[in-house]
Amino acid sequence: MSLFSQDQWPTRIPPHNGLRGIENASQLRDGTSRRGFLKASLAGTAFAASMHQLDILQNPVFANELKRQQKHVILIWLAGGASQLETWDPKPGRATGGPFAAIQTNVAGVSISELLPKMSQRMHHSAIIRSLNTKNADHGGAAKIMETGRAVDQGIPCPDLGAMIAHELGRADSQVPDYVSMYSSTEGRRQGGSGFLGGRYAPMFLTEQMIPENTSRLESLSELDHSARSDLRSFLANRFREGRPDLSVDSHNSAYQRVRGIMSSANLFNIELEPMDVRARYGPTQFGEQCLIARRLVEAGVPFVKVARAWWDSHGQNFETHLELVTELDHVLATLIDDLEERGLLEHTLIATFGEFGRTPQINSSLGRDHFASAWSASLHGAGIRGGSVYGKTDADGLKVIDGEVNAADLFATIFHAIGIDYRKEFHVGARPVPITDFGGKPIRDILL
Amino acid sequence: MGRITQLKPLSEISTPEINLSITRSAVSMADDQRIIVVGNSAGQLVEFDFSSKSSTSEKTRSRHFESGHSSYVTGVVWTKGGIVSVGYDRKMIWWDPLERTVLREVVAHEKWIRRIAVSPDGTTIATVADDMHCKLWNAITGELKFVLDDHQPVTPHHYPSMLYAVAFSASGEQLATGDKVGHIAIWETQTGRKLGELESPGMYTWDPKARRHSIGGIRSLAFSQNGSTLAVGGIGAIGNVDHLDGPARVEIFDWRQAKSLVQLSDTAMKGLVEQLHFSNDDSQLITAGGDNNGFITVYDLATNKIDVQVKAHQHLHGLIVDEASQRLYAAHHGKVSMWELQDEPVA
Repeated sequence: MSLFSQDQWPTRIPPHNGLRGIENASQLRDGTSRRGFLKASLAGTAFAASMHQLDILQNPVFANELKRQQKHVILIWLAGGASQLETWDPKPGRATGGPFAAIQTNVAGVSISELLPKMSQRMHHSAIIRSLNTKNADHGGAAKIMETGRAVDQGIPCPDLGAMIAHELGRADSQVPDYVSMYSSTEGRRQGGSGFLGGRYAPMFLTEQMIPENTSRLESLSELDHSARSDLRSFLANRFREGRPDLSVDSHNSAYQRVRGIMSSANLFNIELEPMDVRARYGPTQFGEQCLIARRLVEAGVPFVKVARAWWDSHGQNFETHLELVTELDHVLATLIDDLEERGLLEHTLIATFGEFGRTPQINSSLGRDHFASAWSASLHGAGIRGGSVYGKTDADGLKVIDGEVNAADLFATIFHAIGIDYRKEFHVGARPVPITDFGGKPIRDILL
Repeated sequence: MGRITQLKPLSEISTPEINLSITRSAVSMADDQRIIVVGNSAGQLVEFDFSSKSSTSEKTRSRHFESGHSSYVTGVVWTKGGIVSVGYDRKMIWWDPLERTVLREVVAHEKWIRRIAVSPDGTTIATVADDMHCKLWNAITGELKFVLDDHQPVTPHHYPSMLYAVAFSASGEQLATGDKVGHIAIWETQTGRKLGELESPGMYTWDPKARRHSIGGIRSLAFSQNGSTLAVGGIGAIGNVDHLDGPARVEIFDWRQAKSLVQLSDTAMKGLVEQLHFSNDDSQLITAGGDNNGFITVYDLATNKIDVQVKAHQHLHGLIVDEASQRLYAAHHGKVSMWELQDEPVA
């Protein structure tokens, strides 16, 4: 059930925070051009570069197309570092393999850990990357790499994946947030950030409570009074704005609109509004409930949602930890995929699972696995992904990548490409060009449609 | 049958595998028959000869059993029906201890088998697994006698629970089972009837705020020799579940009265208490386990203070003590060891 009717979907205007989104000169800077829908829907019709973009987007035909093409990303952040051997790259029968067996998936020749029986039947929606070498096995440094896709400090605060996607897919006058991040556990909690993109693309960060705080109207103020005050403020603001074309004035007005929108979208976070059978499908754990919220947000048009599940840092009792956490991940991820598919959203929504690194193939004396960034795995599901594909290969013991080594920039380029963002795009911070994908990063074509 | 006064390492053998379970290979553990069998992470059973004639040599002999398991061998016991092992592959396998060959093999549980115990007379086997069943078997015929169910499959926080521990009383008349959330059930072995239950909630280490998972649980159980008390081993409140950073914890119950008698908590040598063993006169309790390091700690049960304690080689998973409480044999991460427990010279 969508909480937003079609006519409530906002039209898009380009970002206007002083940054220039530089793309292919024949393209606009908005999501519609990036995804090339005009090429598809207006074949043979010249799209005049001089035509005012807002006029185009106010056309209901284009607005509908825009909605159809709207892409979303749900990042399931496996905080602390999940083991690739107990998830996507099992090594049964090897000294490093641990006690779990591998199971055949519904894609011939592809096996994953027996801890993922439900996901094994959804491999046709999934792609596995088994060859990440991100070189940094320190929590803080590695998290920064995997949040921003940049291995080298750029000398400026860089935006994380959510902020970049919010910048590319978000709508300035949206009624819903562009970037929502949930991280309930305290260990390893990182807010992420929008860096040089500015506060406009910072996440709505939820920690203790899943319903945003301070978004409800004061009880002493009726909805009628609240609306009347808003209308009066808009009237005065618009009158002030006349003859004063100024970005700061626009930003001021936009901020009020967004607050109003976020207040009205607070119900998106209330899963009690979901039917009981839907809630039961996701299960009673907090992670399950957060992924249900993520689905509600995506359904309402939020471009990027991050759900952090902590804490996977299994230096001791790795197998007990993964028995607990992968079982949950398998159920919730499979449910999320099914739910999105049933609602027609999966083809527009990319789900990614990864954390800051993987875990050592060597098993330590606490039956644990330690930090390992040399040969680990990530998974992608849904939009833009070639289902059933596996990219890269590690050696028999999982100690090193022997085929198809990729890094964080490649993973980010793949994600961008999957949702129609040009991975070669550059931001400009003043006169300095900063590529959206770190230098050298290229999409992994083998797993993309 | 003397008092344990020391923990003196006598001999140790390094292995590339993680040694998870241990048993004797014959009725007696006399000097010339100190043959032990260890189950390991390679799915193997390996026989180690610690007898007097070989323990003086630098290379103690080891011999592998034929292949049988396909995952970690988490339990092995000597029975009147042969040596019996269990593992994460859900199998229970009977072995000829002399030929080291498979006698019988059954898929005993639907999920990982965590532990096996044998009655003192060697005729009845109990197995516990993550399917949350305890099963009693005739050790000689392999017949399934009872399926005992009292443990919830899901924790209060909606995650899979585990049934880690099982132990027979010295008389063989009672059996105890313990799970991840600290629930203990006491059973009558002749009838399969539940005699009582206990709770040791301190063994459940769910971290609701920082890391939102748990790794503790009841990992060991032992009845006193007189049958009146039951010791429960695990780990206490964990500061950091990543590293088994919690006190080695034991709680002792008068199980018939369902009364907790004492809680023993050691922060000097931390980690899981994987093994428990009462001395022959019930005056002492041997506890063993560890975090990344191993420990063996002997408590004086008159004072509930530590009598003897040593740091052992890495995490200790299994141990057995000989009939006279003279020697202790242990299975560690990467090592098998033999220890002397008494000052008096051992013949």
